[in-house]
Amino acid sequence: MEAEHPTFTECLVLATALKLLLIPAYRSTDFEVHRNWLAITHSLPTSKWYIEDTSEWTLDYPPFFAVFEWFLSQFARLFDPGMLVVKNLNYASPQTIYFQRLSVIVSELVLILSLRRFVAIQATPQSKKVAHIIALSLLLSPAFLIIDHIHFQYNGMMFGILIFSLTDALTDNLLRSGVLFAVLLCFKHIYLYIAPAYFAYLLRRYCLGRTLLDIQLANCIKLGGAIVSIFGIAFGYFAAIGQIPQLLTRLFPFSRGLCHAYWAPNAWALYAFADRVLIIVAPRLGLPIDSASLGSATRGLVGDTSFAVLPNIPPRATFVLTLAVQLVCLAKVFLQPSPMRFVGAVTLCGFASFMFGWHVHEKAILLPLVPFSLLALQDRRYLGAFRPLAVAGHISLFPLVFKAAEFPIKSAYTILWVMVFFMTFDTVVPVAKSQRIFFLDRFEIVYMTVGVPLILYTELFHFAIFGSKLEFLPLMFTSSYCALGILGSFLGFFTLYLTS
Amino acid sequence: MAPASPAHKPRKRKRHVRSYSLMLPSKPFPLASFLHPLRTSAKQRLVIPTLLIVAFIFRWAVTYGPYSGEHTPPMYGDFEAQRHWMEITIHLPMAQWYWYDLTWWGLDYPPLTAYHSWLCGKIGSLISPDWFALDASCGHESYNNRVFMRATVAVSDYLIYIPAIVIFSKWYSRTTGTDRYDRSIALAILLAMPCLIIIDYGHFQYNSVMLGLAVLAFANFLADRLLWGSLMFVMSLCFKQMALYYAPAVFAYLLGLCVSFGRRAGGEGSGNGGGGSGLVITIPGPIRIDLQTLVLLGVTVLSTFAVMVAPFAVLHGEEHGALEQLAQMVHRVFPFARGLWEDKVANFWCATNIVVKYREMLARETLQKVSLALTLLAILPPCALLFLRPKKALLPWGVAGCAWGFFLFSFQVHEKSVLLPMVAMTLVVAGGVDRDLLSWIGWANNVAMFSMWPLLRREGLGLQYTVLTGLWSWLLSLHELPSSIFAKALHVGFYIGALALHVAEITVKGGIVERLPDVWVVGNVVLCFVAFAWLYVWVLYRMADEAGLVEDVYAVMGKAKEEGERERLKKVE
Repeated sequence: MEAEHPTFTECLVLATALKLLLIPAYRSTDFEVHRNWLAITHSLPTSKWYIEDTSEWTLDYPPFFAVFEWFLSQFARLFDPGMLVVKNLNYASPQTIYFQRLSVIVSELVLILSLRRFVAIQATPQSKKVAHIIALSLLLSPAFLIIDHIHFQYNGMMFGILIFSLTDALTDNLLRSGVLFAVLLCFKHIYLYIAPAYFAYLLRRYCLGRTLLDIQLANCIKLGGAIVSIFGIAFGYFAAIGQIPQLLTRLFPFSRGLCHAYWAPNAWALYAFADRVLIIVAPRLGLPIDSASLGSATRGLVGDTSFAVLPNIPPRATFVLTLAVQLVCLAKVFLQPSPMRFVGAVTLCGFASFMFGWHVHEKAILLPLVPFSLLALQDRRYLGAFRPLAVAGHISLFPLVFKAAEFPIKSAYTILWVMVFFMTFDTVVPVAKSQRIFFLDRFEIVYMTVGVPLILYTELFHFAIFGSKLEFLPLMFTSSYCALGILGSFLGFFTLYLTS
Repeated sequence: MAPASPAHKPRKRKRHVRSYSLMLPSKPFPLASFLHPLRTSAKQRLVIPTLLIVAFIFRWAVTYGPYSGEHTPPMYGDFEAQRHWMEITIHLPMAQWYWYDLTWWGLDYPPLTAYHSWLCGKIGSLISPDWFALDASCGHESYNNRVFMRATVAVSDYLIYIPAIVIFSKWYSRTTGTDRYDRSIALAILLAMPCLIIIDYGHFQYNSVMLGLAVLAFANFLADRLLWGSLMFVMSLCFKQMALYYAPAVFAYLLGLCVSFGRRAGGEGSGNGGGGSGLVITIPGPIRIDLQTLVLLGVTVLSTFAVMVAPFAVLHGEEHGALEQLAQMVHRVFPFARGLWEDKVANFWCATNIVVKYREMLARETLQKVSLALTLLAILPPCALLFLRPKKALLPWGVAGCAWGFFLFSFQVHEKSVLLPMVAMTLVVAGGVDRDLLSWIGWANNVAMFSMWPLLRREGLGLQYTVLTGLWSWLLSLHELPSSIFAKALHVGFYIGALALHVAEITVKGGIVERLPDVWVVGNVVLCFVAFAWLYVWVLYRMADEAGLVEDVYAVMGKAKEEGERERLKKVE
């Protein structure tokens, strides 16, 4: 194979150098969360893992992730045993920082290997070249840099498993794809959002034959057995000691509000924004205002969000909406199953849950972003739908890392990524087979031009004009702006998916 | 190229320009590989923005490390010095700048630094006046202040040094006929230089301003704008006196342009960057002096100096007279009362001091004289060459040689002064890269990084040191050594020595360390001195080669051989 320049390894080395330099940078409370989990899994018996609550950051990931933390703690011991003591809250010795940061960098190896595999499975030189660029764009993605290497999480590894599973699906290795996805679910349950796509596709392609009545019993048993045993391994012990209800309350805390403190840029952010606008407009229109909830969406931390003018949204409504959208795309993949359409369905499930889900985190944007990246270079129309997501998705992560010292890095890195990859995408993407959709490309240009002054305002000028007053204002603008982009991207991709 | 002067033929570019673009995709070094997608002319306009942003990301990433003197009362370090200067310049009248409380980081840099501090201080005070409250802010450390100070370094760097190297690489590659792809590689190499990044963004200083002004001066010389160049150079001197390391070479170059010797008097051309052609004095004999240019240069230099220091003389205050103010400035800027060297530095004096205890044998005045004499001797060859052959292509080489001379032999040298020869030396990559040059320049930067290791270790910049050195070595594929056996041995020997010292420092506790606590630092100094001394020789050799001297020697030998051969053939006939 002819080497592409720069090679994957070269980009990897450069990116790793940057990540190493970021070790002393800002880290969020997630750093302490994971340190606490290291301590819990290392110093307590398994039966106490989901009961222990010395720290407020209790273990709320599924068992495989807990085991992963236990595995890490074996090495952590060599760095600094202090971080493995449950009572050492907010413990951050230099060794602890190095160890935890390095563990993220090393565990990202899974993502790297999965991307290499994604390139390797491509059949033609042309598609290899395209896949190489997609792989680089994911490897160097600002999203992973901001969330994993500054904010602190292990998404690289998780999405590595997902990409392995998707590449298996692309090569029709369906059993392994399903198994990997089950493993992934036992690492982090947020991927339940995209499970419907897996369910529909595996059911249609693996468990059923040419017609819907042609049930492949052997395949059903293989897949079912494999998945049941994986969940058995993960949850069996806790089921045996009767801790499943306790585990479920940890994994699914339903007491939280509709929007996170900073509104994730989804439909509800637009809804909340409309509500805020209506507060100003309502008196003139004669609409009633619920004065008790005036401050809730701008002040509350992880509290409940209530709206002043618009009707409140019950959790059930969000589920119905999410499922309704998901069902439409599942029907499509069920009736016309193909590997690429399956990846599209995964993307759309991610999109739907992000757009309409209950208490969505901004980090969840990775759910549609990563699978969509794999499809973005199909042809120009896909790229057109992808670009607003790539811009908005990354900008929406900016408030995660809010300290002044990280502003230059996150913005410069994102600008660089957008500049380099949009340019490269343009040179390799094939021309669309059918007519472009009129609205999308215009939308995209206008959208991106608005972005620059907006970032400047939210990150710099707001502080200069208002000081620390009206802190919610820039956040609201950012999330509404990003929500618009993601919505545009979602609608564009949805149309492409349904019409292709 | 210049119209060929009769004395020597136009230099052949057979060895120095080899384009890596032709070699791809066979086996480039990673840096070239990164720029490979941008080599087509359609994407050329992306090269500079991309490089500048990448360079910025890495520079800013280094700022997360500690700075000099962070959390180390009572005196803190260079960071506090710079912050304190901002504090005193914005609060005190100019008359007191060089006098105020000299025990707490009194101002000891030339006036342009003071003006720069004033500007930064004014801007900073708009954001938060506590950062620079007079007296009350001594030893001030806060998150936002730190970010602000780091940002001033980045802004100064991007306003001065980085435009300077972009412009310089443009002009120098134009002089030497380097192709565009190689030019962007050269720019990337200059941007990636680890020692400047770690000192300015890690340790905390504004060297890039001084170096940037100097490089701008060189670029102007290459563009035949001698007066602008000399103005820039004087500003560089007025920012930090360390720019004096370059001064003799710059002086020799400019003088060489104004004074020409009879036999090539007519041959002045663009290759020599000739100045004006108005008044020319012909002294009986073969010397012609371009008096007009000479006088204009002199006037420019003196008036720039005058403008820089005049505010201090005019606003001298009531306590001191104008002359007293200037004398105090000079006294502060050139502390002759200090010792032969500070800390441990890899120059001649500190390295040989292990064997010969100079300070016990000789008085300070004598030592000063001896060191002055040795320095003059060391800078003589590059300066003389620049004077006799003031070719554009020779400029960075001559400046580098001169700076090495100062670094190795002069009085009162800091380990950070190695930046001067290092930057000048690295500039030559803009004249086309080949494997040998790349290996030497890459190696030189690694030696410089290693020579600053004792300082960086003390400040807790180990991570940044390791990452930047590693990245630099990898980007330039420094495992590929120069072709000559001797150079191979030298490079490998140095790497083995440096690694051994690093490993020993980590692993060996007690024993030799208890008896000689400085043993690893001394090892560092000796190793780096050998490497630096050899780099000085290498620069001189390459300069002579560039000037055509080496070729001339070979040519003379070759001609003799040819004649011998011809005679032999004749005889055979």
